[in-house]
Amino acid sequence: MSDSTDLAPDVAKAVRRRADGLGERAIGRIFLAPSIAFMALLALFPVFYAVWMSLYDIRGFNRDLVGVENYVSALTDPGFWNAAQNTLVFTVASVSLEFVVGMAFALIMHQAFVGRGLTRAVILVPWVIPTAVAAQVWRYMFDHNPGFVNAVLGTEINWLRDPAWSMVGIISADVWKTAPFVALLLLAGLQTIPKDYYEAAKMDGANVFQRFWTITLPLLRPAIVVALLFRTVDALRMFDFAYVFSGYSNSLATLSVYSQRFLVAEPQLGYANALSTVTFVIVMLVGLAFISRMGRHMVGDVGRKEKR
Amino acid sequence: MSALPWHRRHSWRAGGAVLATLVLTLATACGEPPGQESDAEGESAGLTDDPQFVWAVTGADRHIHEDVARLWNENNPEQQVEVFFLAPTADEQRQAMFQDLQAQAGEFDVLGLDVIWTGEFADFGYVESLEDMRGDIEDVSLPGAIDSSQWKQELYALPYSSNGAFLYYRTDLIDEPPTTWDELYETGMEAAEEEGISPFVGQGDQYEGFVVTYLEMFWSAGGELFDESQENSTFLEGDAAQTALDFMVEGQENGFFAEGFDSMVEDDARALFQSGEAVYMRNWPYAVPLLEGEEDEESAVAGDFAVAPLPTFTGEGSTSALGGLNNAVSSLSENKELASEFVLWAATDPEAQAILADNSLPPTMLSAYEEADDPNFEMLGDILAEAHARPPVPGYNSLSLEIQDNLHPAFLGQEDADSALQAVDTAADDSLDGE
Repeated sequence: MSDSTDLAPDVAKAVRRRADGLGERAIGRIFLAPSIAFMALLALFPVFYAVWMSLYDIRGFNRDLVGVENYVSALTDPGFWNAAQNTLVFTVASVSLEFVVGMAFALIMHQAFVGRGLTRAVILVPWVIPTAVAAQVWRYMFDHNPGFVNAVLGTEINWLRDPAWSMVGIISADVWKTAPFVALLLLAGLQTIPKDYYEAAKMDGANVFQRFWTITLPLLRPAIVVALLFRTVDALRMFDFAYVFSGYSNSLATLSVYSQRFLVAEPQLGYANALSTVTFVIVMLVGLAFISRMGRHMVGDVGRKEKR
Repeated sequence: MSALPWHRRHSWRAGGAVLATLVLTLATACGEPPGQESDAEGESAGLTDDPQFVWAVTGADRHIHEDVARLWNENNPEQQVEVFFLAPTADEQRQAMFQDLQAQAGEFDVLGLDVIWTGEFADFGYVESLEDMRGDIEDVSLPGAIDSSQWKQELYALPYSSNGAFLYYRTDLIDEPPTTWDELYETGMEAAEEEGISPFVGQGDQYEGFVVTYLEMFWSAGGELFDESQENSTFLEGDAAQTALDFMVEGQENGFFAEGFDSMVEDDARALFQSGEAVYMRNWPYAVPLLEGEEDEESAVAGDFAVAPLPTFTGEGSTSALGGLNNAVSSLSENKELASEFVLWAATDPEAQAILADNSLPPTMLSAYEEADDPNFEMLGDILAEAHARPPVPGYNSLSLEIQDNLHPAFLGQEDADSALQAVDTAADDSLDGE
C-alpha cells in the first residue's frame, strides 16, 4: 500500500517530463499507432479485399473483371430482395420485442428484493449459451418429432416448414437468447440514475407511470441507444438461427445466409462478395445512424468533463 | 490528491493493459496447440512417415478408406499415400476441397468427390481430365457410376464407391413387395390403417435427400432431366414431373407419408421404421444391420422386414438414385501421374474393391457383385445396374437448392405446383452453364 503511494508522484513526474518534450497528444498518437495499424490490418484489409473481389466473375481458377455487374445482378435478384425482406422483418420484430422484454427484466432486477442476485444470474443464462447451440436446441423443440412446442401450446403447427411460423420461431428463439443482454445494458443504465430524482418526483405527487415516462426513460436514453445499436447491427447480420432452422431455403434466408449460399453452396465468389459488401454497407449505414445520434451525447459528456 | 495525476496514472495503467492484452493475443495465436485446429476441419490418418501424395476423402466410413490406403501402401512401399479425412457431411467436404484449391494450397492430390460434383470441379478447372483411362473402366465399373464421373462426355474422375436405395417393407404386413407406386400406395394405406401406424417413411426434409426422393419418382415415371448432349433441360417433356409431384402432393394430403416426413432425414426414417411405426421405408442399405438388431441394437422389426427394389409407375424395372464417391486428380497436384495411377487402382483393383464390399459399402466394380453370396447384396448389384446418376452438371448444387425451394413448398401444398415445376425447368437450364 505505502509503496504505491510513494511511487505515484514519481510516475506523475515522469509523465509530465515526457509530456513537456513531445506533447501529450503526440505521445498519445504514437502509442495508438501500433494498435491502429493492427486494427487496420485485421479489419480494413478484408473489407477492401472483399470489395475488390466483388468486381470479378470468379469460377474456380477462371476469373474475369466484370466491374459493377455483380452489384447490378444483386439488385435485380429476387432472392436478394427476399433475403433483405426477411432480414428486415426479423430485425424489426426481434429488436423491438427484445427491447420490451429486456426493459421489463431490467426493471425487475433493479428492484431490491430477496433473491435478486440469483434472479440476475438466472436471467442471464440464455445469453451465455452459444447461438449455434441455442439454435439447435430450439430447432429440436419446434420439430414435429417429438413436437415439444406443439405439445406445450396444444397446437398442430408445422413450425419448421411453414415460412411464416418458422419466422415466428426464430424471432422467439432470438428474443429468448438476447433479451438478457439488453436487460444487462439497461440495468447498468438504471443504476446510474440517482434515487433523489424519484424521491423528489414522488414528493411532487408523480405516479409510477409518470416517473417512468419523465425520469427513467429520458435518463436511460444513452443506454437505450447503445442497446438498440448493438442489437440492430447484430440482428441485421443474423446467420445462426436462420441457417440452423432451414438451411439455405428462401423461406428464412437472411442477407448473411444468402451471401453464404454463394460463398459455399453455389460458389460464385465475386457475387458472394458483392452480396456481403451490400450487407456490410447496410449494416454500416444503420450503425452510423445510431452512432451519430448517440455520439452527440457522448461528445457532450466528454466536453463537459474536460472543462471541469 | 488532485484529479489530474490520477487521470494520468490511470491512462498509463490502461496502456499497460492494452499492451498486455496484445501480447497475450499474439501468444495465444502463435502457441495454439497443434492437432486442435486440425480436429475441426479434418485430420490425417497418419498412415505413413513418407507420404508421396495425399488422398482427401470423407470422414464417414473412415476405417474402410483407411484399409484401402493401407493395401496400396503395402503394395507400393516406395510411393505411399497419406489419407486426409474431411468432415463426414458432403457440404463441408466440398468446402474444404474448394478452400484447398481456391487458395492454391494444393495439399490434396487425389480428391474423393461426391457423384454430383464432377461437372462443377471440371468447370472450375480444379480437376484433371482422365479421358485416356476410359478404356480401363468401361465394362468394369457400373455404367451409372461412369455417367456420374463425366462431364460433357469427358471423364474427370473414376468410380470408387456407390450407393443405391432399397424399399424396406414389413413381411408381417405385406406378402409381396409392390412393383408400382400405386400398388405401394394402396397396400401401404390398407396395412397402416389396420395396424394404426404410418404407410411410408423416407427422406422428406428440405435437403438433398428430398431431391433424391423426388427424382426417383420422376425417373420412375420415365422422366429425364437433360437431353443426351446435356445441352437442354427436358424436365417438363412428357408428364413425369407432374406425375411424380401429384403422387407426392396427394400422398401428403391423405396421410400416406408419416407425420413429420417433411422434416425427416435418413436416420429419422430409420428410427421410425425400426420402432415398428411404418409399413414401408425408402432408405440406403446401411439400415439393414441396424434393423436386424445386430450389435445390441434394439429393433421391433428384427426378422419381420425385407428389402426390394423401389417400384416404378409403369411396373417395369426399378429405380434408384446413385450415391457414392468418385476419385479425381487435383489440378494443383505435383504428382499427377502417381495420383492418377492410384485413382485407377482404386477403381479397378479387385482386392481394393473387395474391402468396400466386405464392409457393406457398395463397390463400383461389376465383378464384385457377381461373386456375392448375400442375396441382398446381389439385389443391390441389380438395383445399381439400373440406377440413375443425378446429372453432375456444374450448377448441380444450385439446381438442387431450386428443387428444394420450389417443390418442397408445393409438396406441402403451400405453393402452386405448376409454377414450381416451371421454376425447376428454368433452374435446370441455368445449371448447365453453372449460373
